[in-house]
Amino acid sequence: MKVSMSSFLISQKPILKKIVGILSENYKYVSILGTDTKGKIYNVQRTGIDLSDSFWCERGFVIRVHNGVNYSEFSFNEICEENLNTIVGKIELEMTKTLENLKNASITVNHYDLIEETIIKEQFLGEVNTLPSNLTSKEKIEKMCFIKDSALSYSDLLVDFRVAYHEVHVSKIFISNNKELEQSYIWSEGYLVSIVRRDENTKYAHASFSGLKAVELLHEMENSIEKVVDTSIKLLDAKTVIPGEYEVICSPEISGLIAHEAFGHGVEMDMFVKKRAKALEYLGKSVASELVTMHDGAAAARNMSSYLFDDEGVLGTDTIVIESGILKTGISDILSALKLGTKPTGNGKRESFERKAYARMTNTFFTAGNDTLEDMIASIKYGYILDGTMSGMEDPKNWGIQCMILQGNEIKDGRLTGEVVSPVIMTGYVPDVLKSISMLSKTVELSGSGACGKGYKEFVKVSDGGPYIKAKVRLG
Amino acid sequence: MIERIKKQIAKSEKSDSSKIGSSKIDGFKIVENNITSSELFFVKKGLDMYRVKDVHNFNITVYKNFEQENVVYTGSSSAIIHPTMSDEEILQVIEEVSFAASFIKNKYYPLVEPSRKIQPQITSNFSEKPLSEWLPILTGAIYNSDICDKGGINSSEIFLNKVYTRIVSSTGIDVSFTTYKGEMEFITNWKEDTEEIELYKHIDFSEMDYDLIDEKVKEMLIVSKEKAIASPTPALGKYNILLNGTPVIELLGFYVSQSSAKTVYNGMSTAKLGENIQGDDVQGDSITLTLDPFMKNSTKSCPYDSNGFPLNSAKIFTSGILNMYHGDFRHCHYLNVVPTGNISNFVIEGGTHSITDFKVEPYLEIIAFSDFQLDNLTGDFAGEIRLGWFFDGIVTIPVTGGSISGNIKNLQKQMYLSKELQKDNNFIGPKIIKLLGVSVAGIE
Repeated sequence: MKVSMSSFLISQKPILKKIVGILSENYKYVSILGTDTKGKIYNVQRTGIDLSDSFWCERGFVIRVHNGVNYSEFSFNEICEENLNTIVGKIELEMTKTLENLKNASITVNHYDLIEETIIKEQFLGEVNTLPSNLTSKEKIEKMCFIKDSALSYSDLLVDFRVAYHEVHVSKIFISNNKELEQSYIWSEGYLVSIVRRDENTKYAHASFSGLKAVELLHEMENSIEKVVDTSIKLLDAKTVIPGEYEVICSPEISGLIAHEAFGHGVEMDMFVKKRAKALEYLGKSVASELVTMHDGAAAARNMSSYLFDDEGVLGTDTIVIESGILKTGISDILSALKLGTKPTGNGKRESFERKAYARMTNTFFTAGNDTLEDMIASIKYGYILDGTMSGMEDPKNWGIQCMILQGNEIKDGRLTGEVVSPVIMTGYVPDVLKSISMLSKTVELSGSGACGKGYKEFVKVSDGGPYIKAKVRLG
Repeated sequence: MIERIKKQIAKSEKSDSSKIGSSKIDGFKIVENNITSSELFFVKKGLDMYRVKDVHNFNITVYKNFEQENVVYTGSSSAIIHPTMSDEEILQVIEEVSFAASFIKNKYYPLVEPSRKIQPQITSNFSEKPLSEWLPILTGAIYNSDICDKGGINSSEIFLNKVYTRIVSSTGIDVSFTTYKGEMEFITNWKEDTEEIELYKHIDFSEMDYDLIDEKVKEMLIVSKEKAIASPTPALGKYNILLNGTPVIELLGFYVSQSSAKTVYNGMSTAKLGENIQGDDVQGDSITLTLDPFMKNSTKSCPYDSNGFPLNSAKIFTSGILNMYHGDFRHCHYLNVVPTGNISNFVIEGGTHSITDFKVEPYLEIIAFSDFQLDNLTGDFAGEIRLGWFFDGIVTIPVTGGSISGNIKNLQKQMYLSKELQKDNNFIGPKIIKLLGVSVAGIE
């Protein structure tokens, strides 16, 4: 079913065009991004239920102008015909005065060229199988309570079983003198978290679900109850890994984590502008095994970060970041592209209208290989299959990688032994990890639950993934 | 706007009973936030972008009491009301949350009542002039010590927010307060004979303290210089670890989480009043923890929590013994304990040894992690080492790479807190923690 565009944003179009018109008298570049994102987050656990608006909900605007030297922005969320002068005055008077004061305080201002835009007028409306409104909030809660109760009856070791479902309807509009863009789409994500305790030993396992979907996600979740509970119970007997270097097979989720943390952040081209990315020195050079090809882009896959245009009004693309082991290019917001003299790739994303746009990942993944998982397991003398993303952290300058992983399933002499280690911290030097990739399975899977930060803030939705990959990494 | 919302609440209660969410509600809470901010983004010392924000938001929670099979429930649901919403849209939001509140089966709890107690206001020198006028001063503070030849600030971001909060409820609460939230993020580079390195720092503050910012920058430049000449971390196996700075806060946050009424009620903590959280035969230092809602220069300080509950200082642990649970009115009611409200500042007393004492025996001291994390549920912690100092009993060298991992529940009996304290936004406590026998995955 087609997703409908925000009627609020449509109704504001004439005012937005008027603001662009007024400001264009004094500024050579003016654009406005308008957002109206609605959503609900449902949480069910043993001791209670919670239903509130999603933390991704927003309704507001950000104006960007070229102030003669570089770009200034004003984020606001109160707009009507009567306060147009206040909005315009904020930019033309107040912000101009502050910029002058900063210059008078001997602060230099970096120069940016004007953004040049071709004329585009386009609209994108996403599709889902079942709209969120097809089930009432009560029906959704009942389904989730059923999942929780089914799980709790499965084992006495469970102290809780949490079910979370999160549906978000994004609508955005971008207006400038040459562009008039609209988009609306729905994504959802869900989690099952099984928490078990034996004596004072508490462990948990989780499964996540996501996609450009709505309530159909709840059906997917129902089918994974036993697997999640079994995993958590198994973790009660997990050992700690003996620190060292191991041959491992990364599940598609962990492959995605590596693609994201190891290389994705490192090719965000605002990092090139700041000379914070080692990747800049490696363009055109080998950074990974010849088996490795990596994509990023809103148009590279149909997943959590698939859109028509980014938060700077640039159309989404499909970027081949690594091709057969060679680093080809980075991913870019529009201002970094201006600075670097490159073409923007439609990766300028904001946490919300309240925040600055940065170069960010969208759907990032390694492409498939020709191996089977069975052959991959059989090829390992002693190692682990790693699965379950907990977190990751990038280091674009020095190419370190940190991935926190829920579990490693032991492989000895080409067979799974049933022994588990948990939790596992995987670290390493990015090119060493990527060059060690020696086998890739045939099917790529992407997932996009959670959020991606830049450093410790600026959270945005992304997806990442890949096939099963075999590599050599350091575990601790 | 609050009056408009109240009007629509009244309208929803009077509307046709066949409509969704039309039945009578038992309470509501409206939280208003008006955030204005000025933001600067620098590359090297050049201003790359200037941003201003002025946003106004309202969050409504509706409560309904109902009974099913002789159990009384308090259902609630909340939603955001945007200032650009029409009366019809506001009414629709209220009807939706009212409908949801009527089937959400949470055990009954009473709502917070107004207090006659007059709470101190949170003061900040940022109130002395408009936000924009602080920008050159903040810029001066961050770049004051950026004068070295081999390293400096690569880029920085400065955010200064003024946050007005008003909380209004159906029980008669109507309180308001203004706080300031300053944030700085900066990246430092350093280059010796090897490749250039970088480190990341984030500072939160609620008062203009030029020297504090300048000190943080100087500290990061020194640390960056050390990282530039660091050797690979050796594979040490189980080793004595000194955690220095921010990871100490992450680690000690475990005790805040374990004593939370919500965590205990949900079964995620088994901490019991009157018992020692660290066990019975503690050989190291014991935890003495106080929550202080009025900590100076903390972005988390506030006179009331989000329910409008007036906050006061609360001593949670004394020498490891759990004196009281802490948390919101609802979860404290569930546990039948005195509510403290949600307080986000914590103070942990220093231990019996000085940092010098800690450094007599061989150790690995970690100054910077990629991202040190502790899982409050399991007690597991880990992090990749970006910079540490390794002392083998003879010499001390800077090291980088590899990781540490462990579990606080297994290590807390032999945990030593330094006498010397640090202050970092919402935390005052030991500067260094010594842990024995932590797993170190080195790279050499």
